[in-house]
Amino acid sequence: MRNSPALSLEGIGKCYRVPPEPGTGSRKYIEFWAVRDIAFDVPDGAAVGIIGHNGAGKSTLFKLLSGVTAPTVGEIRFRGRMASLLEVGSGFHPELTGRENIFLSGTILGMSRKEIHGKLESIIDFAEVRPFIDIPVKRFSSGMYVRLGFSIAAHIEPEILLLDEVLAVGDAAFQEKCQRRVLDLKQSGVTILFISHDLRAVERLCDRVLVMQKGRVIHDGNVLEAISAYQAVRGAAAAGERRVKHVRPQLVIDAVRFFDVNGCEPDHGVTGEPLRVRLEYTAQEPLQEVVFELLFIGSDAHWKTALHNRKDRISITPGKGFVEFFCDPLVLAPDVYQIDATVERFGAEDPLDWLVGCQTLPVQALSLVKGVFQQPFTLSVPSNTGF
Amino acid sequence: MHRVKVRYKQSVLGIAWAILQPLALMAIYTVIFSVVTKMPSNNQAYPVFVFSALLPWVFFSGALTNAANSLVSNQYLITKVYFPRDILPLTYVIAALFDFLVAAGILALMMIWYNLWPTAQALWVIPVMMIAVVFTLGLSLLLAALQVSFRDIGLALPLVMQLWMFASPVVYPLSSVPAPYRGWYLLNPMAGVIENFRRTLLQGLPPDWSSLAPACWITLALFPLAYGYFNYREATMADVI
Repeated sequence: MRNSPALSLEGIGKCYRVPPEPGTGSRKYIEFWAVRDIAFDVPDGAAVGIIGHNGAGKSTLFKLLSGVTAPTVGEIRFRGRMASLLEVGSGFHPELTGRENIFLSGTILGMSRKEIHGKLESIIDFAEVRPFIDIPVKRFSSGMYVRLGFSIAAHIEPEILLLDEVLAVGDAAFQEKCQRRVLDLKQSGVTILFISHDLRAVERLCDRVLVMQKGRVIHDGNVLEAISAYQAVRGAAAAGERRVKHVRPQLVIDAVRFFDVNGCEPDHGVTGEPLRVRLEYTAQEPLQEVVFELLFIGSDAHWKTALHNRKDRISITPGKGFVEFFCDPLVLAPDVYQIDATVERFGAEDPLDWLVGCQTLPVQALSLVKGVFQQPFTLSVPSNTGF
Repeated sequence: MHRVKVRYKQSVLGIAWAILQPLALMAIYTVIFSVVTKMPSNNQAYPVFVFSALLPWVFFSGALTNAANSLVSNQYLITKVYFPRDILPLTYVIAALFDFLVAAGILALMMIWYNLWPTAQALWVIPVMMIAVVFTLGLSLLLAALQVSFRDIGLALPLVMQLWMFASPVVYPLSSVPAPYRGWYLLNPMAGVIENFRRTLLQGLPPDWSSLAPACWITLALFPLAYGYFNYREATMADVI
């Protein structure tokens, strides 16, 4: 038994019957395979991330793994105790106090009474709810609720731990504490499966990533490879949406294009390599003090960086033209960036033109980049180290 | 058990409700069937006659109503966490049994008051109640599993339980049922349970096998079937609930 994997899936499929759309005249239920042909092994002590977009089958796979529902076909085998965290605090009874809920929830998650007694203090302290532990959880703030939920779950010490987006509870300090707790569990040999749609969240925790699309695993490999696989399924660039109603357009943005050092248009950027970003426009009249701006938005919907000429404002003559931003080197970490483009007269209230999601830039790296960008640096070592 | 605690949380009277329900029913039935109409009661004081039957009956109806709804009322748990699903109906049956034991204390006081001293035959209430528990649990598992797909169960239960009570010897003795119908009547296992509970405890008579045996056989037949069906539905319960 020692050499068998901690968790093994074989030909897993889950079929749901979906009622037909009304008005199509059909009465037959449609078979919908939420996940299909899933097969993988997870060795002891490994940390595996499973990522995919909405509808990729992540939640269904999670339910199958945690045993909430059974697969239509296939077999799941695992060794030891498995604990799942599919929404923390879901096992709470609102009328019971925090302390009583620790026992209730702990029992449902598979801890013995004795075990809970031993960890009670540690659970309360971790959740930072000590003054309120003896009031019913229905009077808890939502933050206290999820913190207690995570704290219980973090103390299970199972052989296999299933994680959802539960690491994203509480404020930044508590999230960091959660991350560290999971890393500690990983260090102590717990096998971890982490299901998320956020590549960044998976990156720190996992050494292997499965990418899911339409119910199937389309990629299984290390984090670096997973990033390109994940990008590939993101689909074609968005058409872009114009946010400015032009009564009489003075200037319109036509396109945003990328060029590498050879003047070719690559399908992706590379961290640490130069990249030229060109913004093409058509002006109807001469304009002074013009400011162009390109915003880079990461897959987590946060602004990552911006390119603009607010300090070097330019004058424009009527006709087609372009401005170029030269990034040498590109420091953005691997991800898929949506680009927003705006152009405005310096100091004016309304932009002349504003395109949202007008271009997509996938960025890849030749080696693993930790964090959101790669700080360029030079290394210096004192010469007299040899004594 | 948490179920018992939860039920009486934020209620002023707390555990007293476990006693109040059968006591109130006893008062109502005493007024209707003993004061208004003259119902035979094996020559015993009507309050203690009806109360001794209400104990197993309130256990059965309370446990069944809650346990049959247990999967649906805890669906937030079922769709989120895995745990053996049969625990849910089981906890409600155990909670009802706890209430039963509390109310049994009142029955003991009433028996002292009416000077009814139990004989050794009263020990038979233990196996009789075991039949009641297994029957209740079996029926609960079956109805709870059906309720997952058919919510009609939960809607029909209050009405069915009312009819069922009058089809059981709670407010009248079994001897009032005309002999030609008694065979059919005893297909209701609660009839055998209630009659023998009262008979061995109050009258000090040995159990009446002609009424207890059918209850026993039906329970033994029902439980494995119900449990099998529950396990068959358990795996994919979370998809349809």
